[in-house]
Amino acid sequence: MLLKLKEEWFSNIRGDLLAGLVVALALIPEAIAFSIIAGVDPKVGLYASFSISVIIAIVGGRPGMISAATGAMALLMVTLVKEHGLEYLLAATLLTGVIQILAGTLKLGSLMRFVSRSVVTGFVNALAILIFIAQLPELTHVTWHVYAMTAAGLGIIYLFPYLPYIGKSIPSPLVSIVVLTLAAIFFGLEIRTVGDMGQLPDTLPIFLWPEVPLNLETLMIILPYSVGLAVVGLLESLMTATIVDDLTDRPSDKNRECKGQGIANIGAGLLGGMAGCAMIGQSIINVKSGGRGRLSTFAAGIYLLVMVVFLGEWLQQIPMAALVSVMIMVAIGTFSWSSIKDIKKHPFSTNIVMIATVIVVVATHNLAIGVLVGVLLATLFFAHKIGRFMVVKSRKADEDTRVYEVIGQVFFASSQSFIGSFDFKEAVPRVIIDLDGAHFWDITAVATLDKVVIKFRREGAQVEIVGMSKATETIVDKFGVYNDPEKVEKLMAGH
Amino acid sequence: MNKIITCIDGSALSHGVCQAGVWASNKLSKTLLLLHAIEKSNTPSAEDLSGAIGLGARTTLLQEMVSLDEQRGKVALELGREILDHAAQMASAQAREHIEKIQRHGGIVDAICDLEADARIIVMGRKGAGSGENVKALGSHIEQIIRRVHTPVLIVSRDFVEPKNFMLAYDGRETADKAVKRIIEGGLLYNMTCHLVTVNNNQAGLFDKFKSTEAMLVAHGFDVQSSFLEGNVFNVLMDYKKDQHVDLLVMGAFSRSKLATVFLGSNTLKMIENTLRPLLVLR
Repeated sequence: MLLKLKEEWFSNIRGDLLAGLVVALALIPEAIAFSIIAGVDPKVGLYASFSISVIIAIVGGRPGMISAATGAMALLMVTLVKEHGLEYLLAATLLTGVIQILAGTLKLGSLMRFVSRSVVTGFVNALAILIFIAQLPELTHVTWHVYAMTAAGLGIIYLFPYLPYIGKSIPSPLVSIVVLTLAAIFFGLEIRTVGDMGQLPDTLPIFLWPEVPLNLETLMIILPYSVGLAVVGLLESLMTATIVDDLTDRPSDKNRECKGQGIANIGAGLLGGMAGCAMIGQSIINVKSGGRGRLSTFAAGIYLLVMVVFLGEWLQQIPMAALVSVMIMVAIGTFSWSSIKDIKKHPFSTNIVMIATVIVVVATHNLAIGVLVGVLLATLFFAHKIGRFMVVKSRKADEDTRVYEVIGQVFFASSQSFIGSFDFKEAVPRVIIDLDGAHFWDITAVATLDKVVIKFRREGAQVEIVGMSKATETIVDKFGVYNDPEKVEKLMAGH
Repeated sequence: MNKIITCIDGSALSHGVCQAGVWASNKLSKTLLLLHAIEKSNTPSAEDLSGAIGLGARTTLLQEMVSLDEQRGKVALELGREILDHAAQMASAQAREHIEKIQRHGGIVDAICDLEADARIIVMGRKGAGSGENVKALGSHIEQIIRRVHTPVLIVSRDFVEPKNFMLAYDGRETADKAVKRIIEGGLLYNMTCHLVTVNNNQAGLFDKFKSTEAMLVAHGFDVQSSFLEGNVFNVLMDYKKDQHVDLLVMGAFSRSKLATVFLGSNTLKMIENTLRPLLVLR
C-alpha cells in the first residue's frame, strides 16, 4: 500500500517536476481561453485548473493524466452563465461532482465499453473543431495586426522546437506568448488583451459556498446542465485515461477516476472554479515531457497557482492573438488526423458513426448528445450486421415433408428476414422447422417463430419444431452464464 | 504445490538464493523453478519539453514510445535470459531434480502471486538488485510478498550453507501453532536439530503449550533442544541465535493485524531486518 503510493508519487521525481512545469505553462493560456468561452472571468478557469489538478493528483485513478478547466465543459456552460450568472455555475459544478461520484460508486465507468472507437474518434474531432470555432470571434472584425500576431504565434510554436539545444528544453507556446506580449507592448499595439476579458486572480482562492437559494427551482435550473457536464466530463476523462494507458503501457482504475473527477469538481466549485475534466492535449504534453506519476499533475497545479498569483500583472498584457494561436495548436493537436486518412480504409458504417458524431456535436455544441447519437448508430449498425448471421436452409425430406433448417442469430433485427425465408405458398402437408443450429436471443424471435407456425397452420400444414429448447437457451438474461467458458462453448456449439 | 520457486535477479545475492533453492529442491524432491521478473522502469526515456503538439501528436508519440520500450524490452529480456542461464548452470551442478526457467513481465510480487498455485516454497534474497550496498537494508518486496503469499518463504541474506539446525521461536499464538504443524507436515526440516525457543510473555498456559509442542516435535522424530527464557522477545532470540550457532530461523508471520502492525511494529519484520542468517517464514 505504502509502496504503491511511493511508486505512484515519487518514482519519477525529476521528470514529473519538469513535465509539471511545462504543463502548467500550457495550462494558463488554456484556462484563460476556456473561461472566455464559458463567459466568465479568467480567474474562474484558473482557480478551477489549480484545484482540479491538485485534487485529482491525490484522488484520481490515472497517475500522470492532466485534468483542469476544459473546452468541452466550458461549451456546455455558456447558456447557464448567460442566463443565470456565475453563482449558478458554481452550484452546477458542485452538483456535477456529486453525480460523478455517484457514477463512480455505481461503477458506471465500465459502460465505456459501449462507446466504440469511431465514437471516440468523432468525439475527439468534434472537440477540436469546437475549440477552433470558439477562437473565431477573436479573429473576426479585427485589424490586420491580429492576423499577423496569430500567424507569428503559430510559427513560433511549431518552428521553435526545431532549434538546436534550446528548442526542446523550453516550451514553445510559452516562447510564443512572451514574444508576442513583448512585441505588443513595444509597438504599443491597440489590440485586445487578456486584461480586457475580465478579472484575473490576485489572491489565493478562498473557500466559498455559492450564493444561490437552496430550493427546488435552483435544482431544476442546474440539474440539466450538471447531468450534461457530468456525462461529458466522465466521457472525456475516461477516453483520455485510455489514451494515457496506451501511451505509458500501464493500467488505470477507471471507477476511481470517475469518483476522483467528482471530488475534484466539488473542490473546484467550493474554491470558485468552474467544472472541468481530463484534457487530451495536456495529458499528451505531460507524457511527452516525461511526466508519469501523480507528482506531475500535482506540481502542474501548484506551479500554475504560484505563477498566476505573482505574474497576474503580466498576464493582463498578453494579447488575445497569442492565446488564439495557442488554442489553435491545441485544436490541431487534439484532432485525430489519421481518422481522415482512414476514412478510405474503414467500413462505411464506421465512417457514418464517426461523421455523425462530429456533425451532431458541432451542430448542438453538446458533446453528450453527439456521443449518444454515435453510440446509438453504432449499436444499430452492429445489430444489423449480426442480424445477417442467419440463414434458413430448405429441403424436401420426402414427397409430403418440407424441412427448414435455421442456422444463426435470430433476434429483433433478423426477425423480418427470418419470416421472409419461409415459403408459405408451397402446398405441403407437413413442415419441420429445425432450430438445432439457431440462437433465439429475445422475445421478438420467439414471437416471430409463433407467427411462422400460425401461418403454416392456416395453410393446412402440420408443423413440427425441433430443438426449440436449445435455441431459446440464449434468452436467459443472466450475464454470469456467458462468462463461463464451458457454458459458452455449449451455447455456441454448431458454429 | 510441487515447485521450488527461486527468484533470481542477477544481484549479488542471486548465488546464495540459487544454492538455497537447490537445497530445498533436493531435500523435498521437487522441481526447481528459476524465476526472473522483468520490472518496467517508470522513468521516461526521452525528454521533449517543447510542449507543442502538432498533427497526429498522439499517434507519433505512441509510435516513439513503443519503439523505445521495444528496444529496452529486448535488452531486458536478453539480460534476464542470461541471468537465468547462468543460475541454471550453477544449479545443475548440484541439483538432482529437474530445473525449469521462467521469465515474466511485471513486478516480482505479481509474478510470484501468479505462480503461487504451483509453489511449494518461495526462495528469495533479502534485497534485490535495486537496493543499495547497505547490508542491513531490506528489499522493498519482502514484506509485500510475505503478506500476500500463503506459501513458505525462505529468505536468504548471503551465500547459503546447508543448515544443520534451525531455531523455532514459539509464542503460543495461533500463527506459531500453525508453523509447528507445517514443520511436522512439511519435510524440508527433517533430520535437523530443532531449537525450540519460547520467551515468557506472561501468557496464561504458555509453558504447558511450550511443553506439549516440544513433545509433539519429539514424537515426530525431531532432535529437539528446548529453552524457556525470560526477557525482551527480540533481544533474547537474537542472543540465543548467536550463542547456539543457529543456521536457520523459522517463524510464523504477522500474527498481528495490519493495523496493529502500524502501531506496534512487527516482530517478524524486525527479525528479518536484523539477521543475516537464512530465514524461513511460514504463513
